[in-house]
Amino acid sequence: MGELAHALSNMEEKRVYEIIDKQIAEGANPMDIIQECNDGMIRVGELFSEGTYFISQLIYSAEILKKVMSKLDPLLSGLKVSGSVRGKVIIGTVKGDIHDIGKNIVATLLRGSGFEVIDLGVDVPSEKFVDAVKETNAKILGLSALLNFTYPAMKEVVEAISAAGLREKVKIIIGGAPVNEQVREFTGADHYAKDAVEGINMCKEIYS
Amino acid sequence: MAQDMKRLFDERLGRYHAAMSLEPHDRIPIATGSNYFAEVYSGNTKQETIYNPDKWLQAELKFCQDFPEVDVLRDNRIYGPLFDALDVKTYKLPGRDLPADTQFQFVECEYMKEDEYDDLINDPTGFMIGTLLPRLLGELANKGTGRSYMAMWKGGVAMAQFAAIMRNRGMVLEQQCGMPQPMAGFFLAPFDVLADALRGLNATLIDMFRKPDKVLAACDVLVQEMAHMALSMADPLKRYPIFVPTHKAIFMSPEQFDTFYWPSFKKLMEILIDAGYSIRAYLEGDWSRHWHHMRELPKGRVLCDIDTQGDIYQAKKDLEGYQCVAGGVKDSMLILGTTDQVRENVRELCQTVGKAGGYIISAGCSFPYDAKPENFRAMVDAVMEYGWHDKTIKAKPKAAPPASKSETLKPRNLLTPWEVKKGELGKIMGDEDLIRKHWDQLESLAHTFVWQWVL
Repeated sequence: MGELAHALSNMEEKRVYEIIDKQIAEGANPMDIIQECNDGMIRVGELFSEGTYFISQLIYSAEILKKVMSKLDPLLSGLKVSGSVRGKVIIGTVKGDIHDIGKNIVATLLRGSGFEVIDLGVDVPSEKFVDAVKETNAKILGLSALLNFTYPAMKEVVEAISAAGLREKVKIIIGGAPVNEQVREFTGADHYAKDAVEGINMCKEIYS
Repeated sequence: MAQDMKRLFDERLGRYHAAMSLEPHDRIPIATGSNYFAEVYSGNTKQETIYNPDKWLQAELKFCQDFPEVDVLRDNRIYGPLFDALDVKTYKLPGRDLPADTQFQFVECEYMKEDEYDDLINDPTGFMIGTLLPRLLGELANKGTGRSYMAMWKGGVAMAQFAAIMRNRGMVLEQQCGMPQPMAGFFLAPFDVLADALRGLNATLIDMFRKPDKVLAACDVLVQEMAHMALSMADPLKRYPIFVPTHKAIFMSPEQFDTFYWPSFKKLMEILIDAGYSIRAYLEGDWSRHWHHMRELPKGRVLCDIDTQGDIYQAKKDLEGYQCVAGGVKDSMLILGTTDQVRENVRELCQTVGKAGGYIISAGCSFPYDAKPENFRAMVDAVMEYGWHDKTIKAKPKAAPPASKSETLKPRNLLTPWEVKKGELGKIMGDEDLIRKHWDQLESLAHTFVWQWVL
């Protein structure tokens, strides 16, 4: 792991910017910088899985990455960035629930891992999920919730996907505080992810 | 009849107190902090609960009749008209912004900016009134306008109405059903004040890395404000614990928690305990890395609600002999499961974590709105079958321990203390104390009114 990836995975914000400013001044390829930042973010994900890091470090590293990208943006215009996209993932908080902390963490980590994320926001009705699956051909649909009255709303999305004849085309993963195996079974989803990193790993497996 | 209800009230409250204080009692209390199920059981929409106090009370009376085994009911802190009068931005309400049958939800934003820490630290109440309230309360956005003055006045009146509704409700439930409340009054851990309604989660977590000193200094001043707010709303008879919902601790590492969350939270809880109160703490999410700290507080004074993501068995093991724990019944099972599953779940809880007392039956900090009535009944029946410790014990409600003078609690930092007003009035012609008493009381109520909007 390079110096930049190391600094990022260690939450050394100022050091990250110093290295990048220096690399930019030296005319480094912005795609190489992004690659090294991704290595750093992967390390952050590993540290989270090991229980060394917590959500606070995920959020802080995502914030640092956001600033890095704003530094790189002017250099990226004209370059094709989407070459390494791993696959598309649709994500949204189901109807009735307006919470987005968990969904946003997952979306950030997915982007950091090279996925294209179609984020439908919060309080998303079933039809919107169906339309997104049709339009994007994404192989993964992620449903998020914080509140436990949303079980029927999740089930409704799964049923709507089936009714639209799309059930075989897409894997549905549910996640969020009130979700467990019993809820997965009730909703008819394919998987439930107990935390953000587990969800990302499932996506990697599905697209592998 | 009245005598029967008094006896029932004392029996329930005695059982609740004894379990909380780790003292002998007859059976495991059925005593969740928030019983959302009771509100909807008789068919009310969620909008009716927060907008129609009569219907709310009727629903609760019906619940008390049908489930007389339940030991405490619930408190509520959302009264729709008050939230409308001020246009409270931090909540979406059923029937107003959400379908009538959806639960109210909190809206998090960066209401306080990154460069405003010093303003908060140097003059907390001034910052609340001058800067934050106009952002949290839409009707106050245009400071100094007629509309904003009217909104403040309406808000004050609505607050008094709400207090009257709660008082009446408490009395009716006590006298007609012998039903005590699980808690009265509330506060937040200082870190949560920042991470909920002031800066929001993301910004506060990032501030913790970028400006740790400011975060700590802000938490420190918030100890005082939260302590005064909690004490002014608490049960004057000290029968009920003060409620604290914790929110953001679960996003922190143990080191971060020990540095940023716990010291000010502990200090605040010690002030309230010194004042003779107990605390009911909703430990949201998985607190397993943090809850051992509750052993540092006086025994039996902090009832810990263990959430669905927390492991009730581990919680009991870690806190046994220190604090009472509540929880264990799975929310998803009450909503989706069968009566047999619920019965088996509760039997197991009674015979393991519930065995030696210091345990209260509850789900993840609340009984969910959508619990199936037959599952709720199965839970209650299972407690009545398996939840007995010793039927001969008749625990009486406990008198509050004597209050000791807290060294940590400073006098409330009032915007217009009596001395200032007195100076303006000049010579007082009659009994000064008579005037002062009411001035102080109203000034203090107004400060509580201001600070409650951080929740």
